[in-house]
Amino acid sequence: MGDHNSSQASYIHLVHHLIEECIVFNMGKEECMDALFKHANIKPIITSTVWKELEKENKEFFEAYERRREEIPTEKETARRIRDLLSRTTI
Amino acid sequence: MLALSPATRDGCDGGSEFLDTTCGFSINPEDDEFPEFADHGDLLDIIDFDDLFGVAGDMLPDLEIDPEILAGDFSDHMNASSTVTTASDKTDSQGETNKGVSEKGHEEVVSKRDDTATESVTYDGDGERDRKRKYPSSASSKNNEGKRKVKVDWTPELHRRFVEAVEQLGVDKAVPSRILELMGVHCLTRHNVASHLQKYRSHRKHLLAREAEAANWTRKRHIYGVETGGNINGRNKNGWLAPAPTIGFPPPPPVAVAPPPVHHHHFRPLHVWGHPTVDQSVMPHVWPKHLPPPSNAMHNPPFWVSDSPYWHPIHNGTTPYLPTVATRFRAPPVAGIPQALPPHHTVYKPDNGFGGARPPVDLHPSKESVDAAIGDVLARPWLPLPLGLKPPAVDGVMSELHRHGVSEVPPTASCA
Repeated sequence: MGDHNSSQASYIHLVHHLIEECIVFNMGKEECMDALFKHANIKPIITSTVWKELEKENKEFFEAYERRREEIPTEKETARRIRDLLSRTTI
Repeated sequence: MLALSPATRDGCDGGSEFLDTTCGFSINPEDDEFPEFADHGDLLDIIDFDDLFGVAGDMLPDLEIDPEILAGDFSDHMNASSTVTTASDKTDSQGETNKGVSEKGHEEVVSKRDDTATESVTYDGDGERDRKRKYPSSASSKNNEGKRKVKVDWTPELHRRFVEAVEQLGVDKAVPSRILELMGVHCLTRHNVASHLQKYRSHRKHLLAREAEAANWTRKRHIYGVETGGNINGRNKNGWLAPAPTIGFPPPPPVAVAPPPVHHHHFRPLHVWGHPTVDQSVMPHVWPKHLPPPSNAMHNPPFWVSDSPYWHPIHNGTTPYLPTVATRFRAPPVAGIPQALPPHHTVYKPDNGFGGARPPVDLHPSKESVDAAIGDVLARPWLPLPLGLKPPAVDGVMSELHRHGVSEVPPTASCA
């Protein structure tokens, strides 16, 4: 019982940790579920549940994170433009 | 001779420079000009003329000298912008009268009044407009009260107390008047505190956004192992991380190409607000209980507190995320995270076993790096969490899983 609980807790902690790593890579929830399943054999439903719970506990963070992720396409576009510019520049 | 040579002018123009007008005064206590004071409105109503003119008569012989005194005090009074301090000394009304006076465009400068009556009253020839009444200013102390706004210098110490008070009350619930009480500082007005509070709150929002961004970089650093120590200090003057480094360079990280933005990578998106020159990072440290062994030392004052107690760690329940921190510290952190946390400006201290890698931000992490990261965690679960988010409630997770039909974790059946 105690053991069971603690193994559950540590598993959840593991998933939590893995999710954080994914966030470091700027991944979204689905990408994360995918990655964790592929690389760590974790059922997507578990990943998604832990992710959602994390979101509840860390609302502000996730809000900021989502906003940040939304900007990525524009950033990519900007990056592309900069690269173009740079490639055209001759010094 | 400049502006102030006493007694040379006839027909000084009251409307011109203050200094210029220190001439030609005559005092006529019984003058019918007096009633004109009333024309000037509140300002004059406040003034207790009895006091003034009762003595004025005695002062007449001293007129010659007065200009000099006036001259000497001009700068003082110019700054004071014609405040009239009366016994009642109402700050607000003075502020208004200040405005009123200056806006009128005359320099009706009424300087501080000295009760001891070494006063000289000077009138312009016209008497109609600029009346300069000058009282030897004894009241530089009154200056502060007279002015509506005193510039408050938010020193680190002051700010620290402010933050303590706010934390105590709760950021969202903190009310300036209570904050003032808790701070116990006398030279602050509620208004000062209110505006500071506003800035503090908006700064926090920025911090949170940055945290999210910073999450991206930690990993890169570690993976690429590029040490670009110089960039650490490449942050903006005011400590804010330059926004969004994300120039999406395709992997592999063309580090060479990545210009200055590199410094984003580091970690410290936080900086201390309020002291532009101080590049303190404030990380809401929170290194919570995840770390085994959960050390109590950890969670309270952030380690660097001693160094930069600026933003008090938002440790009263807001999400603590430590974006960069300790990824991969070789030494199991324990209270160790602290080392990883760059206490101050240098975000990353190269000596913490971290490569201080600062690869450009990768918008599309490669499979390999993700795999490596995951593998790392699986192999060494004791490693600290890169972000330090508040952990989910185990019960919540379990009940949710049960609803979805998952009864056990770790699942015994092979996942496929």
